Amino acid sequence: MTYEEFADARLAPLLRYAVMLTGEPHQAQDLVQETMVRVQLNWRRVARADSPERYVRRMLTNQYVDWRRGSWVRRVLLRGEPDASVPVPTDHAQSAVDRDQVWSWLSRLPRRQRAALVLRYYEDLPDVEIADILGCAVGTVRSSISRALATLRAEYVEA
Amino acid sequence: MIEDDLHAAFARHEPLTPSTGPLRVAIDRLAAVRRRRRQRFQAAGVTLALLGALGVGVPQLRPDRPAADPLMSGKPADAQSGALNVLLLGVDGFGEQPPYRLADSVLLVHIPADRSRPYLISLPRDLEVSIPGRGIDKLNRAFHSGAGEPRPDLDAGYDLTRQVVADLTGVRVDAGAVLTFAGLRRITDAVDGVEVCLPEEVRSWHTRRVFPAGCQRLDGASSVDLLRQRRYLPDGALDRDRNAQRYVAGLIRAAVAKDVLTNPVRLNALLSVPGKGLAVDDDGLPLTRLVAVLPKLKSVDPVGLSLPVGQPVDDRTLLPLDPKQGRAFLAALREDRLAQWVAQHPEQVNPAR
Repeated sequence: MTYEEFADARLAPLLRYAVMLTGEPHQAQDLVQETMVRVQLNWRRVARADSPERYVRRMLTNQYVDWRRGSWVRRVLLRGEPDASVPVPTDHAQSAVDRDQVWSWLSRLPRRQRAALVLRYYEDLPDVEIADILGCAVGTVRSSISRALATLRAEYVEA
Repeated sequence: MIEDDLHAAFARHEPLTPSTGPLRVAIDRLAAVRRRRRQRFQAAGVTLALLGALGVGVPQLRPDRPAADPLMSGKPADAQSGALNVLLLGVDGFGEQPPYRLADSVLLVHIPADRSRPYLISLPRDLEVSIPGRGIDKLNRAFHSGAGEPRPDLDAGYDLTRQVVADLTGVRVDAGAVLTFAGLRRITDAVDGVEVCLPEEVRSWHTRRVFPAGCQRLDGASSVDLLRQRRYLPDGALDRDRNAQRYVAGLIRAAVAKDVLTNPVRLNALLSVPGKGLAVDDDGLPLTRLVAVLPKLKSVDPVGLSLPVGQPVDDRTLLPLDPKQGRAFLAALREDRLAQWVAQHPEQVNPAR
């Protein structure tokens, strides 16, 4: 597989995944851009992986989780706090408020927990694969998902 | 039910996803830029091998095009005959990020055509020079002038300083490097510290460190500290230049002791240390090509010299070139007969240890 073929097939799904992680299109673009530049420059190594798709998803996820350490983050943060652009629900119907609140609560979760939620409830991946992408044990995946869900449930109660 | 809400929330926000077209273009463009930059670093790596061979391997290094071309063209390095002049700039500023401000250490490494030994020539930072576009000013200002603000450009700062040095000395500058504090620290630590021999105690203005008279092994951080000091030194910046020469002499000794210079594998390992910016990946140019110059050097013990300067005129802090000695020195440098000049002026040699 060439880089071109990979990008043709995987760029759009990766960008959607990044939107779910960051909750915001600009940061998602930056995240995917930074990851894919590195993919292109190191394509031979990426292509050697058992599953280049999963390898790249892992790169992107790490980039997202570690983003305070990376240099590109500084640039991103200039655009304001993460999720600043998520519309704050005000005068919607009650059901709409609830729906948008789930989205905004997600932004308050630790990034690893959010990534785990996205991988399970958006990408519908099995826990084994999630563990592989996050680089941790399956048990750790389950506990971070249940912690994240508990946090969200607590928000429901307060709301 | 919360699981269902999550599913729904994710699905509902899918339309936030921007189109991939512009992103694809941006990725390709940025990758091309980084690839070019990486190639430049690889090319720089070859020249770095030359400097590393002299014990002055540093990051941020770049070859100068005209002189570097024969070096890059695949000819063996020893095809490079005649004297070589390498310009090293020590720039103040912390870390890898701007601001870089002034080139406070300007060191010209001269390798004579007979390859007898390297000469380290310090050019005082307060030297009065003519800077294109700026007029008469101090030498260290050339870097600042070229680099610009608010985001200083190391390459431009180097280019202008190189031009000023070439105009001043009349010699061709074959290659050069800009050394930051971070680079200095890393290269020092990579050779497990450098032994520096000081004639007198040096107290740090910036930290609580005291460097006693005599020989001592310095790690990266303390080397940086030492090479920043001028305030407590009797001769100020001129003494600091001498310390920089003592450091380079010690670095060469460390490299020799570790057999780095004659062992391409170890040299490669050392040169891969300075940092991410210099990552030479597996399909890079062979770093070792220029090491061929090494065995040609009869001695790696450098001779430390300073460009002779006169007293400042009036109340100004600009140091003029010594009208008699300075000109004679530069003539000797241009004509590649420094050995003779040193024999006639032994008092001008800075004791390295």
